[in-house]
Amino acid sequence: MPMNDAAFQPGPSTPVPLSEDDVLVSSRPKYVGKPVQRLEDPRLLTGAGRYVADMVINRMVHVAFLRSDQSHARILAIRTEAARAATGVIGVYTAADFSDIPPVVATSRMRNYHATSNPALAVDKVRYVGEPVAVVVAKSRYLAEDALALIEVDYEPLDAVIEPEAAAASTTALLHDQFGTNVIFERVFQTGEASQVLAAAPLSVKGRFRFHRKSPLFMENRSYLAEYDRGRDLLTLHSSTQIPGIVRDVLSSLLAMPGKVRVVAPDVGGGFGGKGSLYQEEIIVSALARKLGRPVKFVSDRMEDLASSSQGFDELVEAELGFDETGRFLALKADVLGDIGAYSIYPWTAALEPVQVVSFLPGAYKIPNYFGRVRGVATSKAPTGPYRGVGRPTSVFVLERLVDMAAHKLGMDPKDLRHRNLVGADEFPYRIGSGIIWERSGFVECLDRACEVIDYEALRQRQQAARKQGRWLGIGIATYAELTGIGSRISVAPGMPINTGNESATVRIDSTGAVTAIFGVASHGQSLETTLAQIVAEELGVRPQDVEIVHGDSAATAHGTGTYASRSAVIGGGAAILTTRALREKVKRVASHLLEASVEDIETGDGRIFVRGTDHQITFAELARAVYSDMQTLPLDKREKLEASESFDPYLGTTTTATHIALVEIDPETYGVKLQRFVVAEDCGRMINPLVVDGQVHGGVAQGIGAALLEELVFDGQGQLLTASLVDYMVPTAVEVPAIEVSHLESVLPNNPGGFRGMGEGGTIGAPAAVANAIADALAPLGIEIFELPATPERLFRLISAAGAIPGKAGAGFPSGIAQETNAMEE
Amino acid sequence: MKPAPFDYLAVTSIDEAVRALQASCDAKIIAGGQSLVPMMNFRLVQPELLVDINRIAALSQITETTGGLTIGALVRHVESQKSQLTIRHFPVIAEAMHHVAHVAIRNRGTIGGSLVHADPAAEWPLLATLLDAELEIHGPDGERRAIPAEFFLGPLVTDLQEGELLTAAHLPYLPAGAGAAFDEFAQRAGDFAIVSVGAVVALRDGVIAEARLALGGVGDTPLRAQAAETHLVGKPLSDGLLAQAATLAVEGLEPNTDLHASSEYRLHLVPILARRVLATAARRARGACE
Amino acid sequence: MRMSRTVDIELTVNGESFAETVEPRLLLSDFLRETLGLTGTHVGCEHGICGACTVRVNGVSARSCLMFAVQADGATVETVESLGTVSSLHRIQEAFRKHHALQCGFCTPGFLMTVKDLLERHPLTTNADIRDGLSGNICRCTGYDHIVKAVRELANERDGVAS
Repeated sequence: MPMNDAAFQPGPSTPVPLSEDDVLVSSRPKYVGKPVQRLEDPRLLTGAGRYVADMVINRMVHVAFLRSDQSHARILAIRTEAARAATGVIGVYTAADFSDIPPVVATSRMRNYHATSNPALAVDKVRYVGEPVAVVVAKSRYLAEDALALIEVDYEPLDAVIEPEAAAASTTALLHDQFGTNVIFERVFQTGEASQVLAAAPLSVKGRFRFHRKSPLFMENRSYLAEYDRGRDLLTLHSSTQIPGIVRDVLSSLLAMPGKVRVVAPDVGGGFGGKGSLYQEEIIVSALARKLGRPVKFVSDRMEDLASSSQGFDELVEAELGFDETGRFLALKADVLGDIGAYSIYPWTAALEPVQVVSFLPGAYKIPNYFGRVRGVATSKAPTGPYRGVGRPTSVFVLERLVDMAAHKLGMDPKDLRHRNLVGADEFPYRIGSGIIWERSGFVECLDRACEVIDYEALRQRQQAARKQGRWLGIGIATYAELTGIGSRISVAPGMPINTGNESATVRIDSTGAVTAIFGVASHGQSLETTLAQIVAEELGVRPQDVEIVHGDSAATAHGTGTYASRSAVIGGGAAILTTRALREKVKRVASHLLEASVEDIETGDGRIFVRGTDHQITFAELARAVYSDMQTLPLDKREKLEASESFDPYLGTTTTATHIALVEIDPETYGVKLQRFVVAEDCGRMINPLVVDGQVHGGVAQGIGAALLEELVFDGQGQLLTASLVDYMVPTAVEVPAIEVSHLESVLPNNPGGFRGMGEGGTIGAPAAVANAIADALAPLGIEIFELPATPERLFRLISAAGAIPGKAGAGFPSGIAQETNAMEE
Repeated sequence: MKPAPFDYLAVTSIDEAVRALQASCDAKIIAGGQSLVPMMNFRLVQPELLVDINRIAALSQITETTGGLTIGALVRHVESQKSQLTIRHFPVIAEAMHHVAHVAIRNRGTIGGSLVHADPAAEWPLLATLLDAELEIHGPDGERRAIPAEFFLGPLVTDLQEGELLTAAHLPYLPAGAGAAFDEFAQRAGDFAIVSVGAVVALRDGVIAEARLALGGVGDTPLRAQAAETHLVGKPLSDGLLAQAATLAVEGLEPNTDLHASSEYRLHLVPILARRVLATAARRARGACE
Repeated sequence: MRMSRTVDIELTVNGESFAETVEPRLLLSDFLRETLGLTGTHVGCEHGICGACTVRVNGVSARSCLMFAVQADGATVETVESLGTVSSLHRIQEAFRKHHALQCGFCTPGFLMTVKDLLERHPLTTNADIRDGLSGNICRCTGYDHIVKAVRELANERDGVAS
């Protein structure tokens, strides 16, 4: 998720030496790397999880938002009298009732950036269908919705701003008048002389690519419950958020309640980036709870979630790749137009997504000359924000398509062309044209492994045989690299007002001997309650189930920004290691006194503390009693505080890489696409829990498959969202997703305490490109390329029609005959 | 997404249902509710009174009658899929039911509800059209029958009058030597079809004695491809003949363009599915003749 | 604003009898969650697509967002809370845990109730059958692979087939 600036300095690239512990100690049980069953599962499996919607507080009231049904209009009047008088209604509020709350502004030091002013409820103008305009507070959600129908809003329609290119060119239909343009930022990344080299390049391929807008579509709709303690003037927001610390900080400021706001993320039902930004509804329920002195709950429904949760991707990319006759890449040039929607989202800014397209576009390849320009254009649609992969699903789609097009032009196998240009094992650190520096990671190794798993050569032969039978089989490769676990050097560069590069941990042993570990990250499906417990348990010498993980609570840590951007294992896990090692030193010092042995001979494991090579041992409970309760055993100066707190900032980031290979078969008549196989070979460094890693890859790939084949938020010319239900916004079911074969490899461990690389987003980064390449490969005999995703059957029909490749009559040109026309039901 | 308020009445007989419908000017029947309740949750439908017919036991039966099967309006999709009677006489029903949404929806959704909802891409309206069903309707003036071509008037619009209730579908047995088949194209498992096609082919001495071809998703109602049917009847079965008929299936069609498919793409799909389904039906007809 | 009369209903939920007075428009999902406090049944779309709210009504799976509580008068309803407990998981829950078939857990109760139904009433001969049976439940985290593995193990166990 983080943005990247040009001109990073290479950091230390040597692998972490094994710690003394790793060398000397074999008795302490290892949990990192083991498929430990998840500690959060029993409650989630039995319906005992606690999501915001499940929470009930005395005197709680419910809200429903009146949302704009216009995409761009001036608000002339809002009449709420009838709604106020409706049964069960406690109040109806508009922006005028919250005039003491300033608009949210996502600032940035970036040049050429216009920060939009984002009101909690629309002021004067609405800028997208779904924008909150008024709010009803009532005794139940049913009654609140009844009252919504009684609110009347007079709008003066303004020109809808829909098509990004027209929006960028317009000086009259402006979403934010004060800027005089809809282009709210522009940046250029450049290395070498891309234009000149391209002009002189012996060969080149180019295309105009379109990656359509998606919804993150977490299963739990956004939900917020604010409670106000009037005696203490304390506000607690229970929020389905990925970023409780960031929300706490900004709410404290917006509500002018420094030190009086706590934000808690309980069980959260998925996020994928879509719960990684501040939402208007969080501000409003908080303000209402304070205003009314009652708990105020908002549970979004699916329709409003589709319309108003931050949306993803949505870019138009014109790109050209130049290369020589041997297939060596020479230059890449790209122009990216990002449709960012109505507002620049807090805290990431609207630049986050489109800038990452340009900064990652050169990918895992050696391309000496690069020119990339990116503009973000405001349109009258819901704001875009982070969605799993951020920018890279588009950049990888564009680049990997160009690579396949180049291979086709050269008459070269796509695998061989990748081999020729990937950054090789001995070429790291490698700085790509946008300034990103790749650390050593298994670029080539992943490509080789994926090809080996799928038996690439045999598959090519099978494809040839299938083609002779009139079957359309396609094989698509996508190789990519990403930066994960990114430290403060990079994330602060574009001038966002938060530090995403750091996390702290506190680990303590209480007076009963129980271990608690507190983090600023916020798990919402990533299994952090298990993986962080594995780390702490292994480092301290207890069992994972003995470690209570506290996360997602802004009151638990001084600073912590949450879980996003494939950061929690690297940064949170790094903090866990450093902190637990510090605590274990204390444990050993105390134990050396209690066991009358030297510190060097003290070892821990399985909940015991013992003297190596003897049967002398104590439990953690006995240790705790000696320190906290028993005033006899330890002299005062030996009663150490059994708590440690450390933070970790990787400064730069780690490089994660993978190769995805998709095998598709397209029905040559209906153009229905079926994924036959999907292979992923990835290098995420040392795995904490292979089950969890597999699960993350599977889920990411499924979202990438959805992005490639099914998912698209469609707006009409007036800005109405046509895909406002799950009937029309189609995500993959178990039938559309194949079994996913994942192969892990560790090239060299990266330079961080655990040797971890982030991997939560990768599935979504590689899969769209792999599927697109597979479809293009299947259609290659027809001379068709794929430039637009999702590649729906309708789009394939249009492409094939335009290529004049449709057989004139039904059945013509295909092997037919009754015997072969069996229905699948009877197979 | 919570429904607007309404009154509720659970009835136990057809007469009671008809009386309840007459008592309110804005009453709606609820059977399985799998199409109605979503529309109520979106507040697209806001009836004053909901008449629940789920407790009318007589409507839940599949029975053999003279010349055919009678399927009660409350028969669930899953029951029509698994009933020994439908499997024996109309295996094409199970074939089509497999495409109806998903397990939990099929457990609850009813044949009557699907017919009355009259989605032109839904399976039961197509089956009724294909199988020459007679729809049994009760109302203030007693019972009447309607044929699909008269019952389905447009997307989500039927010939049901105020106070009327669909109670059953009568399906006449297929002629001897007949085979039937169904197939559809949808983007995902369980989605409404972009195009659905059903066929019946009856053979006598290798000659097509009767042919039916029904199309869904390509018009305001399910349609019969009459030109294709006419072309087939009286001719000896061959691959070429079926392919010719399949191309005739698009004659007169003017499908809509919507979010998921253009009119042109639907027209492209019709002959493909028609050919496949006719071929399967013909193969089954040959099996039936052996 | 039209108000409707309330209705008295009696039903059995997870083996316990309840007599409650409800507004006709109260969805069964909201009745379970809010009236009875059984928040294990989750609401994901309220239009019958996502499957998160799947429960069993009179022994078969049903969407609780597509039924009104009044319609469950006299019915027997089973929710996820009828399966195992934290200290003693049901076999289906154990298999889900073993195979890491859940991540955020929000869709999971609906999947568990669907799988209970599939195991009781469907042959599940192939993995394609399993995927087909699960296709009415959307999971956004797992990519389904681990869920299919868990159900395969359960089906094999049911059928006495070695995994």
